[in-house]
Amino acid sequence: MSHFSWPIDGGIIGLYLLATMAAGIGVRRYVGKVEHFLVAGREMNLYLGIASLAATEFGIVTCMYTAQNGFEKGFAGATPGILQAVAMFVIGITGFCVKPLRDSGVMTIPELFEKRFGPNVRWLAGVVIVLGGLLNMGVFLRTGGEFLLLVCGFESGYISGTHYLEIVMTILLLSVMTYTILGGMLSVLVTDFLQFIVMSLGLIIVTVLIFKDVGWTKMMDAVQTHYGAGGFNPFANPDMGVSYVVFNLLLQTAATLTWQTTIQRVLAAKDTDTGRKVYTRTAFFFVCRFMIPALWGVAALAMLVPEQYGGNTLYAMPVFLGQFLPVGVMGILIAAMLAADMSTDSSYMIAWAGVIYNDIMSPFRRRAHTEKEGLFWSRFIVATIGVFLMFWGLWYKLEGDLWTYLGVTGTIYLSSMSTLLIACCYWKRANDWGAFGAILAGALIPVGFLILGLMPATKPLAKSIGPYYSGIAAYASAAVAMVIGSLLKPSGTKG
Amino acid sequence: MQFQMFWLVLSVVCVVWYSTITVYVAIKGFWDIKSMLERLAAPDDENAVNR
Repeated sequence: MSHFSWPIDGGIIGLYLLATMAAGIGVRRYVGKVEHFLVAGREMNLYLGIASLAATEFGIVTCMYTAQNGFEKGFAGATPGILQAVAMFVIGITGFCVKPLRDSGVMTIPELFEKRFGPNVRWLAGVVIVLGGLLNMGVFLRTGGEFLLLVCGFESGYISGTHYLEIVMTILLLSVMTYTILGGMLSVLVTDFLQFIVMSLGLIIVTVLIFKDVGWTKMMDAVQTHYGAGGFNPFANPDMGVSYVVFNLLLQTAATLTWQTTIQRVLAAKDTDTGRKVYTRTAFFFVCRFMIPALWGVAALAMLVPEQYGGNTLYAMPVFLGQFLPVGVMGILIAAMLAADMSTDSSYMIAWAGVIYNDIMSPFRRRAHTEKEGLFWSRFIVATIGVFLMFWGLWYKLEGDLWTYLGVTGTIYLSSMSTLLIACCYWKRANDWGAFGAILAGALIPVGFLILGLMPATKPLAKSIGPYYSGIAAYASAAVAMVIGSLLKPSGTKG
Repeated sequence: MQFQMFWLVLSVVCVVWYSTITVYVAIKGFWDIKSMLERLAAPDDENAVNR
């Protein structure tokens, strides 16, 4: 039975939503150019960048799968967060790729690719980034809605039998679309800041309550009983091991280098040093990003029996929180999670809109757009992405496992784009042949693995390979294709 | 036992670090927003001089 109270918790949520909308719409008058709309006029300073990056990279979907990791793998489930923090800190401190990228003054990664590999690679890279990103984002709304309804006390069977989830999340999406269309990246930054505060408040309060009322000993015992040493050490966990750690290190490094919403904070920074500092100083947040929800998942493991979450481990954490949190804190949690989801949605919409406008549409423009035309098209693209999300991610029910879906769609994009970026910045022989090869190879392996897993005849083979080795192979083959393609092209050939 | 201690220390550090950084970023970030909006409100030629 959830402790959600409409007058108290509903009031807290209403107040938060009102403040967000007012702040988001209020800054629209500062948007006069496309550069203001897409990268906030490159006026973002350090602390705003930290707040924005942290808020963007933590959505309800993040909370759900990291808590599921904690529930299914114990404390070892927080390992990807540590790997991402290491990757982000090293990239920030060395300036690896992000320095030449920001120094070049481009608005998107494909724009940089054009300078080295030509317009065709820019266009194709834009398509791959948008496809991978939007398909990845497709599951955010439904998962977020499931969390919110489960915390409020709706049973999973009830959710699927009504349209509550769709109605709630459509209203939420329309609110986010409104301020993002009007204020672009400026609204995104200002609302991200507000959302960072609300989200952090909720995450901290809930975690402290869990420490106090569930207790460390009980959580430790639950992990020890269910998973033994594997619940504390990823290398001792039969579901993880070396391949899991290597795959996640590659994935998190590639995401830090090329995930459009992450890299956009570097591109929107007022200078290169600020962009690098955003990375180094936000790095430890990525440990918290995995650790805090993993603790919630472990607490659910300690407190629930399978009948309470219907056997679906994804639902265990929200069901637990719905029963565990008192009135008032419930409102803060839901406001925090709404904040997390809204900041992610708005940033993702503006990030992909930037790539569509800047890289995919540019070859079809006969003449340069005026600022007014540019703003119109940018806003129109944000609105179109919103409509796509509403139907693909909410009204169309995705089948299959969430993590596999996220992993496959992410790897299609990340493996090739990270290879292209590294080669573009540091390898003089890299050329368009290598770039095309890397994009093709980076996409073929994960898609091929997915197809092998779907066909009955090849299903055992896919199972024996596993998603982690297939993921590692995608990164390796993209790199090899870049080298072979670049070396095969006769020197002196244009492009 | 070593691993259990590692996760305990990491969990506590996460909560303490996150609480501190939230307050710090909230204060400094507010001034960042203020100065960003002031710069954007300034006329273009003045913006160029300031940069």
